[in-house]
Amino acid sequence: MTFDFVEPIVFAMLSVGVIAAGAAVVLINRITAAALLMAFTFLCMAGMFVLLGAETIAAFQVLIYVGAITVLILYGVMFTKSGDRPYALFFQHQTPIAAIFVAAIAIPVLLLAFSFNAPAPPPRGGDLPGLATSVFTDFAFPFEIASVLLLAAMVGAIVLTKRDEAEGADTRRRERR
Amino acid sequence: MPIGPFGLDPVIWAPLRLVIAVGLALFLILNGALLQIYLERKIQAIIQDRLGPYHVGPFGLLQTFADALKLIAKEDVRPSATDAWFFVAAPALVFCPMLASWLVLPFAYDITGADLNIGLLYLTTLGSMTVLGIVIAGWASNNKYALVGGLRSAGQLISYEIPQILALVTVALVVGSLSMRTITASQPGPLVNVLVLPFSFLVYFIAALAETNRTPFDLPEAESELVAGWLTEYSGMRWGTMLALSEYGNVTVVCSIIVTLWFGGWQGPGVDALPLLGVVWFTLKVYAFILAFMWIRATLPRLRIDQLMSFCWKGLIPASLLNVLVVATLALAFPSSRVPIAIANWLLVVAFVAGIPFVQRRRLAALRARARATAQPVRAAS
Repeated sequence: MTFDFVEPIVFAMLSVGVIAAGAAVVLINRITAAALLMAFTFLCMAGMFVLLGAETIAAFQVLIYVGAITVLILYGVMFTKSGDRPYALFFQHQTPIAAIFVAAIAIPVLLLAFSFNAPAPPPRGGDLPGLATSVFTDFAFPFEIASVLLLAAMVGAIVLTKRDEAEGADTRRRERR
Repeated sequence: MPIGPFGLDPVIWAPLRLVIAVGLALFLILNGALLQIYLERKIQAIIQDRLGPYHVGPFGLLQTFADALKLIAKEDVRPSATDAWFFVAAPALVFCPMLASWLVLPFAYDITGADLNIGLLYLTTLGSMTVLGIVIAGWASNNKYALVGGLRSAGQLISYEIPQILALVTVALVVGSLSMRTITASQPGPLVNVLVLPFSFLVYFIAALAETNRTPFDLPEAESELVAGWLTEYSGMRWGTMLALSEYGNVTVVCSIIVTLWFGGWQGPGVDALPLLGVVWFTLKVYAFILAFMWIRATLPRLRIDQLMSFCWKGLIPASLLNVLVVATLALAFPSSRVPIAIANWLLVVAFVAGIPFVQRRRLAALRARARATAQPVRAAS
C-alpha cells in the first residue's frame, strides 16, 4: 500500500478551493472578503504547483501574489472611500450576453479537457539550478524586457504620485495665505 | 516495500511523523514564547536596574506560566462592531505561516522537518504571508488605532522585506544553494559565513529587527501614539496567539536563519562524534541572538515612522543592492576563492558604519536650516 491515493484527494480539495473561492470573489459583495478569497485562490494554485513538483514556482506564487499583491489590493481598498456597496448593479443587465460568452468558451474547453489523454509532462521547476540557468541564459532577453517594463511602470507611478503631491502642497500653501 | 524507522510500516510512519513534527514544533513554540517573555522581562530589568518578576516560583520562573494560564482562562471578547470572520481569522493568519516555517529549521544534521531545496525561499515566502494577517487584523478591528497600526506594520514589513531578501541573495550567491542543510554544511569549522559576508549579516540583522517588530522598529505597536497598534481590540488568547506566540516564534525563526546562514548552524566542537550535540549548539547560538535582540530593545529608543521608512529606502536598500552587485561580480570573477568577496564586504561594512555620522550631520544641518527658516517670520511678527 502506498500513498498514491493521497494525490487525487489533495488535487480535488485544491481544485474545489480554487473554483469555489474564485466564484466567491466574483459573486461576493464585500470587497475585503473578495480580496482575502483571492489570496486563498492563489494559495490553492500554489498547492497545485507543489503537486506538479514545481515547488519554486509555488513559493514565488505565494511570495508575490499572497504576500505582495493581495496586501497591495487591501491597501487600496482601505485608502479608497469605503462602503461595501452592492456590485450587483453592474452585472444585472449583461447576464444573458455573459452566459453566451461563457458557454462559447467553456464548452470547447470542457470537451478538450475530457478528450485530453496525453501523459503529464515530467515535473520540472523544482529543479532550482535548472530553472535559474534557463531564466538567465535561454530566456534572458524576455526576462530583461519584463524587468524593464516593470521599471518603467514603477517610474511612471512615482512620477504620477510625486506630481500630485507637489500640486497638493501648492494648493495647501495658497489656501493658508 | 521498505520498512520505515522503528520497524513501522511507512503508511503508518508518514502520518505519525507529521503529527510528531507538528506537535514538537508547537511544543517548542509555546515553551520558547514562555521562556523568551521571562528572559525579556528579566534582562530588561537587569539592564534598567530593576528586579523584574520574582514572586512566582524561584527567580520568578513561573511568572509567565501563570500569565499564560490567565490568558487561556480569560473571557473571549469580541467587540460587536468588528468584522466577525476577519477578526477571528487574523490570529490564525499570523500564526500559521510562522508555524509552517519551523518545517525547514535545521536543528541538527538529521533533525529537521524537511530539507527543501528551496528552503530559504520557503522561509521568505512564509515571512511575507504574515503581513496579510496583520493588515486583516487592523482592518477587522474597526478601530482607527488598529487600522493605522496595521497599515504601518504592512508598510514596514513590505519595505524591510526587500533588504532582507537581498541579503539572503548574497548568501545564496556565495554558497550556491538555498537548502538550509547545504548552507550549513558549506561553513565547516570556524570558517563561518559571517567572516565572508559581514555586510549582508548587518543588513539582515537590521531588517530582521524590523520584520519582527522589535525595538527600535516597533512602530506598529507604539503605545504612546497608537495604544497597541493592530492589537488594540484583541484580548485573551487571541492576543496571546498574535503577540506572544507569533512574535516570539518569528524572533526564533529569524534568529535561526541568522545562525544557519552566517554562523554555521548546528556545527560546533564535538558534533562529528555526537550528532545530537548539534541541537545544543544550534539552540545556544539562536538564544545568543535572541538575547542580543532583547539587549537592543532595552537600549534603543523607538524611531519615528518617517525616519524608519527613509532609513530603509534611502539607506538599507541602496546599500544592499550595491552589496548584491559587488558580491555577484566578485563571485563571477573569482569562482574558486571567497577572499575577494570577504575583503569587499568588510570594506562595505566600514563604509556603511563610517558613513552614518556624515549622513546624520548633513540631515541635522538641513533640519536646523529649515527650523531657522520657519522660525524667523514668528520672530519678526512678535
